[in-house]
Amino acid sequence: MTRSMSPEDPKLLVHAYLDGELDPANALAVEQRIAADPALAAECRRVEALQQLLRERLPRETPSPALRARIEAAVGMRRPRAQPSWRALAASIAVTAVLASGTTFLALAPQPTDEVREAVVAAHIRALMAPQPIDVASSDRHTVKPWFNGRIPQAPRVIDLAKADFPLVGGRLDVVGRKAVPTLVYRHRQHLISLVELPAAEGTSSGPSLRTAGGYNVLRWSADGVAYWAVSDVGAADLRQFADLFRTAQPDQ
Amino acid sequence: MTVAGADTDRPPSGRRERPPDHLRIVSLPAQGQDAKTAMVTGDDRTRFAQVVLPHLGDAYALARWITGNRADAEDVVQDACLRAFRAIRGYADGSARAWVLTIVRNTAYTWLAKNRPAAEVAMDDLEAVETAQAVSGDAEAMTPEATLIAEADAARLTAAIAALPTPFREALVLRDVQGLGYREIAEVTGVPIGTVMSRLARGRGRLIATIGRKDA
Repeated sequence: MTRSMSPEDPKLLVHAYLDGELDPANALAVEQRIAADPALAAECRRVEALQQLLRERLPRETPSPALRARIEAAVGMRRPRAQPSWRALAASIAVTAVLASGTTFLALAPQPTDEVREAVVAAHIRALMAPQPIDVASSDRHTVKPWFNGRIPQAPRVIDLAKADFPLVGGRLDVVGRKAVPTLVYRHRQHLISLVELPAAEGTSSGPSLRTAGGYNVLRWSADGVAYWAVSDVGAADLRQFADLFRTAQPDQ
Repeated sequence: MTVAGADTDRPPSGRRERPPDHLRIVSLPAQGQDAKTAMVTGDDRTRFAQVVLPHLGDAYALARWITGNRADAEDVVQDACLRAFRAIRGYADGSARAWVLTIVRNTAYTWLAKNRPAAEVAMDDLEAVETAQAVSGDAEAMTPEATLIAEADAARLTAAIAALPTPFREALVLRDVQGLGYREIAEVTGVPIGTVMSRLARGRGRLIATIGRKDA
């Protein structure tokens, strides 16, 4: 500290000296005053003793691991407890729409599936965040599917599964591997299911394989050059049912 | 997720003349702009993890010393972290720890005002406390020997800190428990460095007087 301090109380300077807050010139001056003044020397010893006591004997207060987990969940770094909401969905759509606007969709380079899984789960978690009230919704696939037009060249497969208790609630653009990809959002009871559609090699076809990531069930399958990633906190059986319905549904258009 | 180019990229002029309203309200603010209107992005989370989470221990310790118990401290820290998350784009440079602790402190006092309106010393009263201290200096009149101080046990020390008036306590905790510099403490508590020095010295003086008392 280089500013001159009001020296009305030389004790303050002793404290600042012990705290290492004085520049060398001032520190030297205070050292000399301490050496010359028994009262200041005594103050110096007391403060030093107190500081040592605080360092050595005061119990450290540490947060519980549960607190950290709660905070991470609250900001969406872990599985949040929040109910999925329209607002969350709408916010996610809005954000990703801007991010994706003006970008050109390119075929994704093959990437490790772990990274894709992380990305789709992260995108799903983002969708559950509710920072902004925005009014957007569509359970009509004839609204959702055209919504992607002009945003990405890829036309996602959109199936209405409302009759099977998986109503379509909307769509959004997610970013996976820095590319904008279409994501459909379905609801099953109080849960949302994000279905991300990624381009895959032509002719690729594989059955559903289930993994979990961050507390979410992630079901992946591919068909007709598209890799589907379904992410949700619904049970594995429900997610499999959803995937089976989606895979076997006949597009009626 | 990257937000680079979000301001310059325009939606391609497609079949729609303009995007529907729900899409047009989006604007991702640059850093330093009002973050309250911002959408949450993955960048926010990354930044939160870099700026806030490393100081969770300090945040908790400060909240613990201000509120006086674990449960309240955890509530305060969680609330403060959410505030920090929402304001994360407003954090520019400087000490991340001081930024986080400032939010924790403000949150803690808001929490106290709401939940314990009668128990807490109002900040307005503080000037009176400080003035009285400065005039009489009674708490510091007793000046035990350093050897006596060194004998205090943890329970007594904890109780003595808890009994300090809030402004003295927070200055002392920030400095002697959490190791902040004067400048950081001034930033966190929103007072000049001179006031920090005076509060710290008085807080230490009271503590020394209390724990140095043989019959205490």
